[in-house]
Amino acid sequence: MLELTRITAGYDPRDPVVRDASLTIAPGESVGLLGPSGCGKSTLAKVAALLHRPDAGTVVLDGRPVRGWRHGAPRAQRTAVGVVFQQPRLSADPRLSLRELIAQPLRATGRRAEVTDRVAELAPAVGLTAELLNRRPHEVSDGQLQRACLARALVLRPRWLICDEMTAMLDASTTAALVAVVEAYRRESGAGLLAVGHDRVLLERWCDRTVGWQGISGRVATQESMSPTG
Amino acid sequence: MKPTPDPQTPDPQTPDPQTPVLSVRGLSVRFRMRGGRHIAAVSDACFDLAAGECLALVGESGCGKSVLASALLGLLPGNAQTEGSAVLGDGTDLLTADERTLARTVRGRRIGLVPQSPAAHLTPVRTVRAQLEETLRELTGIRKPALRAAAEQAAARAAFPAGHLDRYPHELSGGLAQRAATALALIGDAPLLLADEPTTGLDRDLVERTVDELRRHTDGGRALLIITHDLAAAERIADRVAVMYAGRIVELAEADRFFGEPGPRHPYARGLLDALPERAFAPIPGMPPELGALPDGCAFAARCSRADDRCSAPPPFDGHLACHHGVRAGTEESAHA
Amino acid sequence: MAESVLGPARRTTRRIRVVSSAGIVAAVLLAVLLVPPLVQLDQQAVDLAAKLQPPSWQHPFGTDDVGRDLLLRCVYGLRVSLLVGVVAGLTATVIGTAVGALAAAFGGWTDRIVMRLVDTFSSVPHLLLGIFIVAMFRPGVGPVIVSVALTHWLSTARIVRSEVLSLRSRPFIDAAISGGASRGRVIVRHLLPAVLPQAGLAAVLMVPHAMWHESALSFLGLGLPTHQASLGNLVQTARGSLLAGDWWPTLFPGLFLIIPTLALAGLAGAWRERINPRRRSELML
Repeated sequence: MLELTRITAGYDPRDPVVRDASLTIAPGESVGLLGPSGCGKSTLAKVAALLHRPDAGTVVLDGRPVRGWRHGAPRAQRTAVGVVFQQPRLSADPRLSLRELIAQPLRATGRRAEVTDRVAELAPAVGLTAELLNRRPHEVSDGQLQRACLARALVLRPRWLICDEMTAMLDASTTAALVAVVEAYRRESGAGLLAVGHDRVLLERWCDRTVGWQGISGRVATQESMSPTG
Repeated sequence: MKPTPDPQTPDPQTPDPQTPVLSVRGLSVRFRMRGGRHIAAVSDACFDLAAGECLALVGESGCGKSVLASALLGLLPGNAQTEGSAVLGDGTDLLTADERTLARTVRGRRIGLVPQSPAAHLTPVRTVRAQLEETLRELTGIRKPALRAAAEQAAARAAFPAGHLDRYPHELSGGLAQRAATALALIGDAPLLLADEPTTGLDRDLVERTVDELRRHTDGGRALLIITHDLAAAERIADRVAVMYAGRIVELAEADRFFGEPGPRHPYARGLLDALPERAFAPIPGMPPELGALPDGCAFAARCSRADDRCSAPPPFDGHLACHHGVRAGTEESAHA
Repeated sequence: MAESVLGPARRTTRRIRVVSSAGIVAAVLLAVLLVPPLVQLDQQAVDLAAKLQPPSWQHPFGTDDVGRDLLLRCVYGLRVSLLVGVVAGLTATVIGTAVGALAAAFGGWTDRIVMRLVDTFSSVPHLLLGIFIVAMFRPGVGPVIVSVALTHWLSTARIVRSEVLSLRSRPFIDAAISGGASRGRVIVRHLLPAVLPQAGLAAVLMVPHAMWHESALSFLGLGLPTHQASLGNLVQTARGSLLAGDWWPTLFPGLFLIIPTLALAGLAGAWRERINPRRRSELML
């Protein structure tokens, strides 16, 4: 379970962008979170990925409450959630080749022995050729870079995947290709998914259920359209 | 100063209604890279655009559509080489005109640009009113007492609320910023509007509003070239659709036939539509080729299920299609291709 | 890999600028490194019979008020000034980068306290602070270097801090954290390499800055002992003869200060253009 309960979060405690939002995702379930741009759904996604400390509320990940955020979260908890962001250009360290980009999480967690195998396995799955893997971000297109970012999110085999507007900058074919990669991984691993976006047609096609931003935030302890917590 | 008319154009004063607002013939853009390499960003683009018509140029990022737009505005970097012609209704060739002509008589006056990110296009430290008034002074020569009314009128044309005129760009919502940018683009009364990815990053509602407003200006008699990767936006606004792949226009079709029945004829365009979540949601296998290393034959052949021997020769573009097959459910269409 | 998209004309002027700057810097380095050990001439050799001679074949830069050869004195002076400039500039850059990066990476109270301290030090004029530091020691190269280094890391710390702060909020840092990277790994692998070009630029620009600072201290009589040739000392001792209409004892040390400064600034400018990551967007692909 990934349980977000009554989360209030933002960048200014006096004016939070997320108020009292609750959302629960069951293992293996895919949930689409639909909302207009600027509504705070990306902030909620960062809270769910343990990358942003909420001002109030609790996050329970696989039965264990989250007590720290960013570096404060235990590594095992952090790496249980894979994230893909909207803008691949900003999500990739410009100095690293795509191969290194994908391998970073393995190196950071002391599993460098697996780098060769894991990259060789993931690259064809996301549609990257060996030649593209040697290039750096400024030498590839947005779509190719986002493929590498998705591979990076999958390289540690996370139990949860958070895709924050993953396809907003991409054309229809690349969008369909990346969604197919995510779904193939979920079928094989049973991972849960939170897909955040503003494209209703896409999210409804992609996810088991879609919740609107209005449905999860603002009201106190709403549980409609959500699987029972606890 | 009036642009020098092309001697071949009969009479620029009374434009023939049949004369297109923009006529692009054989437009190619190549970037010269270090080590003598070349990148063929646009190859042999041909299309016409008439008054009151909207042409959507669609394709994935990196296919060359933005380079084409920059070529039309004369905004290419120094290492770009162009070929072909892009002639405006009055005979000005955008590819050969010098920077002075482009700056004084073309940008803003003959081509209005609706930018990709209006927030970045507007000057952050000045109010919308100040920016409208400055552009009005620059383009129409209207002076002080009349300026205020003219600015309000210009705002109204883009449905920008007069009550928000004294706000700064950062105080505007995304939709209002887009309208402010559109209002600026409309001031010069340019017969041609060029919208470069005007809907990127906007939500569906806002995309539809933006697109509908652009359509309204087209119906008012302007020609609109909209460049987008958003097929839904293209379907909503366009009269005709040009699909670009690996720097080439591979299909140019009526929008209702393209999105409805009988559907696109080029396998790539077909695949692109099938990738939409409201359709098959199936990606086209593979990835587009590098613009620096295009194959000799059809650039799509490597991803195409129908590729055969003929595809090793480049398919000529007949004004509607560049494909040896001409996909159709039936075969009657491919016969007349 | 680096693909320049400038037109040929601009590329040529840029190349001329870089080559001439590099040539001047190389010549300066060769002069200060090779002349003293190779040329067996005593820069301190006093020849009262030949005092205050204008430039001639024997003394291309003329002589000073006790007949010492000014060309030789200038080279030795530049050697000292450059030593102070390079050592103090590097020290200042290392301190500034470390302080700025740590303040930004830790954030919160650490950042606030450190940056308030930086502001406090910055509000005192550098020269005054420098004078205060040298005044605590016996005159010599060491105290001058310390004085220059301790007063010049502040701006580097600010630059590096703002750079790291802007990087820290980038999604790629979030992605690294989510991928299990430790705090140290994020700083060493992702943040520092990204700010090093900026820090390097600051270091290059810091060298002439430090040279000027040294000259100012020496000119005020607070830097190096007067018998030791430094560009500041040379100008200082020559001040009297300038009033008598003898232009060369001040002009040449001045040029020795200005020309390397311009050359270093030229190199720094070229570097700045190199590290500017705009290349792909200029292609609009």
